[in-house]
Amino acid sequence: MSFEGLPRGSAAKKQSFLERTYFPEIIRGLVVTMRHLVKNILHTSEMPTMQYPEEKRVYGERFRGRHRLMQREDGSPRCVACQMCSTACPADCITIEAAEHPDPEIEKYPASFQIDLLRCVYCGLCEEACPCDAIRMDTGIYEIAADSRSSFVVDKDFLLNNTTEGTL
Amino acid sequence: MAKLTIDDQEYEFPDGTSLFEACREARGEALPHFCYHPDLPVAGVCRLCQVEVEGMPKLTIACNTTVRDGMVVHTRSEKVNKAVQQILELHLINHPVDCPICDQAGECGLQNQYMQYGLYESKVEIQAKVKKHKAKVIGPYVILDMERCVLCSRCVRFCNEVTGTGELGIFNRGDRAEVDVAPGVELDNNYSMNTVDICPVGALTSRDFRFAKRVWMLKSAQGVCPGCATGCNVRIDHEAGRIYRLKPRYNPEVNGRWMCDRGRMTYKQVHSERRLLTPLDGGKDVTWAAAREQLARMLEGKPPALAVVSPHASLEEMFLAVKLAGAEATVSGPANLDREDGDDLLLDADRTPNRRGLATLGIPELQSGALADRLRAASGPVLVLGGDPARDEAVAGAMEGREGLIFVGDHDGPTAQAAQLVLPAAVWAEKAGVFVNRMGRWQGFQQAVARPGAVRDGWRILAEMLSLTGAAPAFESLRAVRRGLTAKVLPEGELDMDRMPEFGFMPAGGER
Amino acid sequence: MTIVYESLAKIGFMFAVIMGMVVVLIWMERKGAAFIQDRTGPNRASIAGIRLAGLIHPVADVFKLLFKEDVAPANRHRALYNMAPWLVMTVALSTYAVIPFGDFLTVAGRRIPLVVANLDVGMLYILAVASLGTYGIVMAGWAANNKFTFLGGMRATAQMISYEINMGLALLGLMLVFGSLRVTDIAAGQADLIWGFLPKWGVVVQPVGFLLFLTTVYAETNRNPFDLPEGESEIVAGYHLEYSSLKFALFFMAEYAHMVIGAALIATLYFGGYQVPWLPRPALEEHAGLLLTLLLAGTALVSVLISVAFLRRAGRERGKFGDARDREPGMGAGLWLIIALAALAGLLQNPWHIGPSGAEAFASFIQIGAFLAKLVFFAWLFIWVRWTLPRFRYDQLMHVGWKIMLPLGVANLLVTALVMALV
Repeated sequence: MSFEGLPRGSAAKKQSFLERTYFPEIIRGLVVTMRHLVKNILHTSEMPTMQYPEEKRVYGERFRGRHRLMQREDGSPRCVACQMCSTACPADCITIEAAEHPDPEIEKYPASFQIDLLRCVYCGLCEEACPCDAIRMDTGIYEIAADSRSSFVVDKDFLLNNTTEGTL
Repeated sequence: MAKLTIDDQEYEFPDGTSLFEACREARGEALPHFCYHPDLPVAGVCRLCQVEVEGMPKLTIACNTTVRDGMVVHTRSEKVNKAVQQILELHLINHPVDCPICDQAGECGLQNQYMQYGLYESKVEIQAKVKKHKAKVIGPYVILDMERCVLCSRCVRFCNEVTGTGELGIFNRGDRAEVDVAPGVELDNNYSMNTVDICPVGALTSRDFRFAKRVWMLKSAQGVCPGCATGCNVRIDHEAGRIYRLKPRYNPEVNGRWMCDRGRMTYKQVHSERRLLTPLDGGKDVTWAAAREQLARMLEGKPPALAVVSPHASLEEMFLAVKLAGAEATVSGPANLDREDGDDLLLDADRTPNRRGLATLGIPELQSGALADRLRAASGPVLVLGGDPARDEAVAGAMEGREGLIFVGDHDGPTAQAAQLVLPAAVWAEKAGVFVNRMGRWQGFQQAVARPGAVRDGWRILAEMLSLTGAAPAFESLRAVRRGLTAKVLPEGELDMDRMPEFGFMPAGGER
Repeated sequence: MTIVYESLAKIGFMFAVIMGMVVVLIWMERKGAAFIQDRTGPNRASIAGIRLAGLIHPVADVFKLLFKEDVAPANRHRALYNMAPWLVMTVALSTYAVIPFGDFLTVAGRRIPLVVANLDVGMLYILAVASLGTYGIVMAGWAANNKFTFLGGMRATAQMISYEINMGLALLGLMLVFGSLRVTDIAAGQADLIWGFLPKWGVVVQPVGFLLFLTTVYAETNRNPFDLPEGESEIVAGYHLEYSSLKFALFFMAEYAHMVIGAALIATLYFGGYQVPWLPRPALEEHAGLLLTLLLAGTALVSVLISVAFLRRAGRERGKFGDARDREPGMGAGLWLIIALAALAGLLQNPWHIGPSGAEAFASFIQIGAFLAKLVFFAWLFIWVRWTLPRFRYDQLMHVGWKIMLPLGVANLLVTALVMALV
């Protein structure tokens, strides 16, 4: 293989014989790793690792967690099924079916509102797009686990009752 | 001819041209407008299309002005823009701005023109808007939201001038003025949904399309309405394999900018429960491989004894049927099916899209008795292409208990029930093809949505049957079929069917 | 018959040592890597809340792998695919036959040499068996019918051919110095001192040979920086990509078994094997009483210190987890205290006067202990190097093998032969 004509990197620097045997550098590397090992054995409690289920990181207030749908005073969804969120969604994870609301003042409401949490990228564009402040991502919930793909597709009832407390 | 200057450039237009159209040509885009419509009489009520004409003391509306020699017109001046902005602001005083729940959002004149010319902060401090009736059902297909109305009167003019039925009118005056139907009257003429199309805002919306989909999510394909022999050009709006609505597509030779309500509802047959989705052998679902084996057993390497071609099939499919069975053994009918009352606007009494195509290929059309006789006389397998001829009693009687009936069709019905082998074929929105309308105009349509289930394109099924009979040449693409078709019925080089002209193709001497 | 029982006992001992070491090495690898990278490493698996600093994890891993579904590619070569992991494992285990883990042990008046098979051609046996391991890898790579496994197998072959020669050359030098192909002779020969103070270890008499051998052992065991057959960044997992469940576990354990052989070979051939430096066997037997007393006293002292450390941790972390894990420091303190008490009890038995037969047995156990200690150190070196050095590029691997190590090996052999002829 020829590297002629290519810019010559550090490999082309003149190296002394000792450097070319690699052994001094290997030993220096071994010393570095051993230093870490000894330090960590002696000061186990100072390691940055977080013991996750017991200890949890505290996130800022603006952290985007799992979505929730806001309610009107009577408990029905504030959402009017305008589908701005599903239009804005870059992951295409929101599916809304609109229907005629019996109350002519409201006119339109979501007959079904589904979010595929596996597709969601938690960008928050749906929140921003919503003209009615109907969808929010302020629950702070980030522990989202289930044992089938279908149970990650959450529906309107789930999202409506998805308060800032509680888990899936 | 009138020579005039529009936005510092010289143009020449024939005398009598509307200044609005002259400006549209000069600018490359229309002036802002609500009430102007090229197919309706000028009303001049919205005042949006005002332009500055030198020598005139005030701005003037372009729609109600004709071009004059030596005119100097400014359409983009400060003064014009300010006028448009102020008129829009006035329109929005009482507008509910309920775009989130409005079906027009995305194709709304008020929205678009506000984004282009407006973008102002409202100066109106009083939030008490005039309340009018919302969501009032005024006809079988149309729903009215009076708060959104800008009183352009297009719908009223349409009902007065185009259909002549005059259901709509404007009642009251000032900010209480309303478009409405008179008490006891319904907007139920067969062209009522054109008012939805021409309504520049969300005042008149379709009940059929209501809340079904946001318009910006829809994709469009060019189609031809299969509802009658007129063959109105349509835009098929669809998304994710589902058609949501049909809209008229401009064709000055056929339908102008209109189409009828019956035609708009033809998309429902595409998603009908009665669609045939898998091949059926003796009434049982089978795979295509099994169906092909059965087909080979039935044909025994020979062409079918008779092919009954429906006027619902595309021209390409008809051509392949003739190729398959031979000109002598290819017929159509019964001729009395699918004939209802028409009107003198667009709807034709013949409710099939391609009856003229049969004549183009020289396929004779038989009355029901004659067809029944042919069916009884034919010994060997019979191919029925499209439609549902067994809806006719005489034909049903001839088909009953008959062996070797092969039905290439799309919907379940008496014919599918009577057939030994059913091969599911695509309907008009699921395939590309050509219909010949009642005037003899060839009109191409595109595939809009994917074929459901195991449905296949009709020409492919027929081409496969053709290869089973060992006939040459094999047709391996729709392009090849079309080349064979044009070579047969048209002079060399007259038409490339893959590049159909925008408004369709009229062969020499095609007019009825 | 006795000889059969003896052999079976020795085989069983070696087997237990290797499999035990495999478990310990997996733990050392995971925990060592973690600490080197400032992580805590495995610390979750537990039996009744006792985690043994993560030692339960390898055990849990074994059970997990045993019960996993065995997913195999449809178009594999069935026989070779099934045979490959067993071949690799068998080869890994059989090298131990010729490695002495002690000098001898006298049981019921019989002097039992502590080696399974004291072959005349032990060195050749090592070279022969080591190269058989490649067959398993190539079989696995080919039989799985996958491009990546195939590439892994190809790399393993090419690497093995290149480095086997260097290994042979390095060992030839050693054979010249000790004048024997018998591994026990080489181990015994390293008990002497040069100039009265320097142990006559292989590494002292053959420093260049040692470096060559060390490098080639890394290459032969497919450990970093020579783990190109696995090369997860380029060829996913290399030759064992298509293996799962027990078959994968076999490959996994074979890798560690190979490491144990590598470490045992380095220790035996270059670091005196079971020899304790400056304390040859007669000296060990002579001072047995003193050494045993010192050993017990030291054990007691260290155990008490560890126990105290555990107690302090128990006080510091009281109720930290709120479950069984909180009992760990207390139990650790108790365990080490029991060890300390046992050592003290031993001291009370007057270990100074253990008698000649006791002294002989003591010397044998000290030598086995020395061998195991060296083994563990060199096994740790494998892990240490792995988490320090990056992997070679393929062309670098070939360059080092053929253009640097081969000439060096030949030169080393010539110089050694010359010196041997002159002295």
